[in-house]
Amino acid sequence: MFVALRGQICRLLYSFDTERHRPGSFRMKCLLPRLNFPPTDAPMPLLRFLPSVLMLGWMILLANSSPAQSNDVLDNQFRDVVQPILREHCWQCHNAETGEGDLDLSADDDVAAVIQNFRRWTVVLDRLKTGDMPPEDAEQQLTAEQRAAVSDWIESLKNAEAERTNGDPGIVLARRLSSSEYDHTIRDLTGVDIRPAAEFPIDPANEAGFDNSGESLVMSPALLRKYLQATRTVADHMAITPTGLAFAPHPVITPTDRDKFCVNRIIEFYSQQNTSYEDFLFVLWRYRNRNTSAGYDDSLASLARQAGVSERYCQTLWELLEAPTPDMTNASGPITALRVLWRQLPEGTKVDDRVRAHFGITQMVEFIRMLRQTLVPEVPNLTAPEIHSGSQALVLWKNRQFVANRQRYAETELPSLTELLTSDFGLVKDSEAAAAMRVPDDENRDAFVEELRRFCEVFPDQFVVTERARVYLDPKQEVKLTGRFLSAGFHSQMGYFRDDAPLCNLILDESQRQQLDQIWLELDFVSAAPMRQYAGFIWFDRTDSAFMRDREFDRYRAEDKDNISEEKVRGLSNAYQAKAKLLGASKDALAAIQFYFDDMSKTFRRLETLKIESEAVQLEAVVRFAQRAYRRPLSKVDRNTILAFYQSLRHDDGLVHEDAIRDSIIRILMSPQFCYRVSLPSDRSVHVENGIAPLDAFSLASRLSYFLWSSMPDDELLSLAASGALSDPEVLRAQTLRMLHDERAEDFVINFAGNWLDFRHFDQHNGVDRNRFPTFTDELRQAMRREPIEFFRDLLQQDGSVLDFLYADHTFVNPALAKHYGVDDETIRQASSSEHPSNWFRLSDAHQYKRGGLLPMAVFLTTNSPGLRTSPVKRGNWVVQRILGEHVPPPPAAVPELPADESLLGELTLRETLARHREHPSCAGCHERIDSMGLVFEGFGPIGEMRDADLGGRDVDDTAVFPDDVAGGGLDGLRDYIRRARQDDFVDNLCRQLLAYGLGRTLQLSDELLIQQMKTQLAGNDHRFVSIFETIVSSPAFLNQCVPSQGTD
Amino acid sequence: MKPSNPKVARRTLLRGAGVAMTLPWLESIAVWGHETVTGNDVAASPKRFAALFMGCGINRNHWWARGSGKDMELGKSLAPLESIKHKMNFITGLFNENATGVGIHPGQTGNILSGASLKKGSELRGDISMDQVLANHFQDQTAVPSLVLGCEQPVTGYHETNFSMAYSSHISWQNATSPVPMEVYPSLAFDALFDNQGSRRNESILDRVSEDAVALSRRVSAADRAKLDEYLSSVREVEKRAASMRASHAKAATRALDHGKPIQAMKRPDDGLPEDIREHMQLMCDLVAIGFQTDKSRVATLLLNRDLSGLFYPFLNVDSTHHSASHSDTSDAYERISRYYCSQYAYLAMKLDSMQEGDSTVLDHSCLLFLSSMWSGNAHDSSKLPVLLTGGLSGELQTGRVLDYLDKDDEDRRMCSLYLSIMDRMGVSLERFGDTDQRLAGI
Repeated sequence: MFVALRGQICRLLYSFDTERHRPGSFRMKCLLPRLNFPPTDAPMPLLRFLPSVLMLGWMILLANSSPAQSNDVLDNQFRDVVQPILREHCWQCHNAETGEGDLDLSADDDVAAVIQNFRRWTVVLDRLKTGDMPPEDAEQQLTAEQRAAVSDWIESLKNAEAERTNGDPGIVLARRLSSSEYDHTIRDLTGVDIRPAAEFPIDPANEAGFDNSGESLVMSPALLRKYLQATRTVADHMAITPTGLAFAPHPVITPTDRDKFCVNRIIEFYSQQNTSYEDFLFVLWRYRNRNTSAGYDDSLASLARQAGVSERYCQTLWELLEAPTPDMTNASGPITALRVLWRQLPEGTKVDDRVRAHFGITQMVEFIRMLRQTLVPEVPNLTAPEIHSGSQALVLWKNRQFVANRQRYAETELPSLTELLTSDFGLVKDSEAAAAMRVPDDENRDAFVEELRRFCEVFPDQFVVTERARVYLDPKQEVKLTGRFLSAGFHSQMGYFRDDAPLCNLILDESQRQQLDQIWLELDFVSAAPMRQYAGFIWFDRTDSAFMRDREFDRYRAEDKDNISEEKVRGLSNAYQAKAKLLGASKDALAAIQFYFDDMSKTFRRLETLKIESEAVQLEAVVRFAQRAYRRPLSKVDRNTILAFYQSLRHDDGLVHEDAIRDSIIRILMSPQFCYRVSLPSDRSVHVENGIAPLDAFSLASRLSYFLWSSMPDDELLSLAASGALSDPEVLRAQTLRMLHDERAEDFVINFAGNWLDFRHFDQHNGVDRNRFPTFTDELRQAMRREPIEFFRDLLQQDGSVLDFLYADHTFVNPALAKHYGVDDETIRQASSSEHPSNWFRLSDAHQYKRGGLLPMAVFLTTNSPGLRTSPVKRGNWVVQRILGEHVPPPPAAVPELPADESLLGELTLRETLARHREHPSCAGCHERIDSMGLVFEGFGPIGEMRDADLGGRDVDDTAVFPDDVAGGGLDGLRDYIRRARQDDFVDNLCRQLLAYGLGRTLQLSDELLIQQMKTQLAGNDHRFVSIFETIVSSPAFLNQCVPSQGTD
Repeated sequence: MKPSNPKVARRTLLRGAGVAMTLPWLESIAVWGHETVTGNDVAASPKRFAALFMGCGINRNHWWARGSGKDMELGKSLAPLESIKHKMNFITGLFNENATGVGIHPGQTGNILSGASLKKGSELRGDISMDQVLANHFQDQTAVPSLVLGCEQPVTGYHETNFSMAYSSHISWQNATSPVPMEVYPSLAFDALFDNQGSRRNESILDRVSEDAVALSRRVSAADRAKLDEYLSSVREVEKRAASMRASHAKAATRALDHGKPIQAMKRPDDGLPEDIREHMQLMCDLVAIGFQTDKSRVATLLLNRDLSGLFYPFLNVDSTHHSASHSDTSDAYERISRYYCSQYAYLAMKLDSMQEGDSTVLDHSCLLFLSSMWSGNAHDSSKLPVLLTGGLSGELQTGRVLDYLDKDDEDRRMCSLYLSIMDRMGVSLERFGDTDQRLAGI
């Protein structure tokens, strides 16, 4: 048994006890540090955890694989055959001292050591197979037999080990969330995209190249301090509400920020309500002409829903227009006029009918609007001697009059009918409808007035008032004062006034009304608006107004927190009224003043009570928040700890409720249960054998969500975890599909593909000389980075073939990138206007622009160019390593740099310079495998632009001889080469990358058969991408975990 | 008072009790922020900046100065500065272009320290103020990155110019859309300074978090435990540093006592707002002074009153409120008000000047800016602003001068140029700030 310790991380590997090994029996143990976990020696329990369908597949797979050789045999072969060859041919360079190519082949002394360090032996295998080691200039070359002996032995060992340990979940270390996971998790937890991790340092990647494993995600005091700041930022975005907690898109500490949050939500609600009469009437017309045949759901409700208008108001209008009237001949009034117009709307549903219906409806609406406008009475200011007409009590009185008139026929305040009915209200002269609006004779007057009442009731002058200038001044002077959302119409004082009764009465359904009531209450509650309004009143009546400058008012100060106490409000009310009365205020004015103080006091008392009563509610919300933040049900202990912390903040640290809640949130977010991903062992009832047990359902939910979303599980996943359904393979499959189609899968693409293909930080790429390449703007850079993401996402959505990454004849561009690729303006205009709101569109027949698939994307060509020249080496290396998954050792330290600017290369072209470099035998080994795959891109300049000549003015030549000695040119040449020689390498690499990312650890030998299975799966499914996700999430490595054997911890 | 940066622990509301130990500057034990210097190294005194704001302008007939140094002659309203006039610069003629021609009051105030163009209507938009730029710079070096204090509560609502009244209430802005929360309660400002509440609250949190980590690590495998230990030791390290910082402060205080040196202590102000505005303003000045002296903070703004202020001054024998009085800005009454405000500024300057720091005083290492939103409250004239600068910024700012920029081109008399020049001298060099990239010539 071997335990490798590297740095602080325990790297845990699988091994076996060679002495006790019994040939033929598959045994596996999860080895943990010797000190803690002496392994037991029981048979492998793996299969018992597999869903039955899968199990069949796995058994077949196991049965089909070649029989493993015994380790004794392998050990003997190593000693007798392999090591002598190595000693003679390899150790000279690859020893402990020189360690060329980072490789010491003398270090591993037996089979166990080879297994432990198998990565280096994979390199040996690669190099032997490609035949570039030993180098051409070596004194002695290997014979074909020797070569075969070593590589066969490595292969056999690999197979034996892979089979023996197959399905081992491996050690997935506990780890903190990566920065992007942190941001996404906060987004999904709070519902707002705060991105508190923006200032975290960039996360390092593990050996597999991903930043999502405990191997590389470490913690430090400096980072911890940033965590503290980040959580404080998140907590500053939290408002406490009567029903719990709410998160705002901005901090909500200052009153202005709190106002902004609460007001915006109300405005947002209003803006979502459709109050267009046209839309309502059109729905009614469609309903009148509905298809009554079976199979159609043309109910009024369903038509209203489709049109996005209130069903309730549709019903009201329908009854108004369609109600049977006994005698239409003598009837007159606005309702009658409307009914006439309504009846005149066309029957039928042809295009022509619709056009005419629209026309008729426009006329009806015009009539409604014009008539309704004439029925709005003037409301005079309420005044009182020496009281400023902008004083709150008087302004609010006026607002209430407006509200009272919204749905009322204000007969007494309006001119007589004869004066009112002088206009034709847009009706056609002498039409039947116009006749209905003639001044009624005495006999019909009551009926007419009744219709006016009904008309005003159903058609309010306004459904909702969202902004208000100063209401006590001439409206003409105030037209410029826009954007005062929900304002009460005061001067210089804050204050809100709710004026939406018609909306509530006519349009909203019960649940919408409740929601609206709720957000209005939250405005008062969160921003303390009434208290601040009252302070404003005291200030105004002493500064703009002189009313409160007498000494008796001195004890009422705007700054005084206590000014809202019952006693002080009553005191000021009495003093204010007494002075008003003394000065001769009217009864109405006195009543308005009295109402103002009583109403304010009532509001204060209600808010005070609510504040106290809701403390328990908010505390409970903190507990619920913790449950979501921890991504699993809280234990009793967790719950109690959270409550106890709150209590100690209140009672020991003396914090007020709101601060204690805020700190409780911070503490939850600082808890390792939030910012770490720890797979807790399943409950005790699960049988653990040989250190392997299934993940518990909540850990599985998190594993899925961090794999496919880089974020926390949503409610659906958590509830499936809670019910136990998630372990059902069908449910798991369905969830995987759902998640891949969810928007959050974009975060998977960015994190996975961004690391795999190395473009995550391209948005900060500064390697381009913008003087030489002025077209390389920030916008273009952003577009370049986005291209592989768009391509990848589309492939996922369509469940396309993974070979499209290589061979697709399409890509995705926005106008900036399309221009860069040489697409003509007309094509850009047509394509970008139609498809995607963000202007991204699919570029078909991309070969015209020498694009298509990943290989020629500008982002990769640019990243791999050092500024003022291309780099066939870097580009080729990117293809070889990132796309084909081949290990290439780093160059020796002494290699001279090429000039940074290709115009300075002198006589030789870059190609010739490289060719000269390859003449050196020790360089040739790698460069012959790399250069050709970069030279084919010479038709693309340093920012991936198409070009015919390089910066030195030489014609470009994009031909190359590939490692299989076949010549080819350009993108097509490279694709042909890959197709004939390397396609499997690409597929294999993609599977490995995806698996390493999905498991959150570097791969190990026990994953080999799973990788084979993924490849088989792909081959059998037209290389459809999604199939391998399903293979991964249903594999034992994904579903299980290593746990300490019982009794050893 | 709030740290400028929202990412930094913001002001907290712990109710601290009793008298806090404060730390005087001592030759042998210099304790500036986080760094502790012992032995013979004398830490350079830190530079501090404070801005004191008065709304609605001054009485221009009595707001003048002539001559220089000890011979400087001062107008009646500036009389309170007589004894330290040689440490003061009297400046006229500067202005904020974006505060002119946009309408009166809020539009002349919300950008007074930023020079930004302000947005009307319900959506607030201006820019970060220069004090907060400084605060961001010093945030890791002091316990409280900036003291943002006020003697009159902020209000919102709308002015007739359709600017939000929030602009009249806040001169410190943390970014384009959010003002820095302003503390009007002296007791709470005191707590934030001396309770170290930010860090104490963090400690409470970290305590529990380590308990969490320990509890969790009991339930996990040894490998995971190693990862959690990494977390735990980071938590403990952060806690330890916070504790050692407090300890070194306490130790310095004790040693100061041992040396028999006087410690300037300040009693925690009573809860609630002082009834008398005189007491309120003085307490706020005291807090700035003690915050500077103890290097708890290096940046402060004090809004003595709002623009459009409702304060009134029976003790000055003025009946109308501040704003109303400013409409007769050449009256005797408004002269008394102007002089009263100047006296608050003088009080803070002299207090800092009484605090020895090495061979000089805290004032000598500070820059105190006095400014108002207007020159004339009656005319609502912000085409030039009354500006005073006191303190030598460790010798970087020459004092005892009268500087008049009124005849200069608009390009050469911008407030933001002055801000750039001040920030330069405090080690924060920006290419551009507000409406200019030019430093103020002759300062």
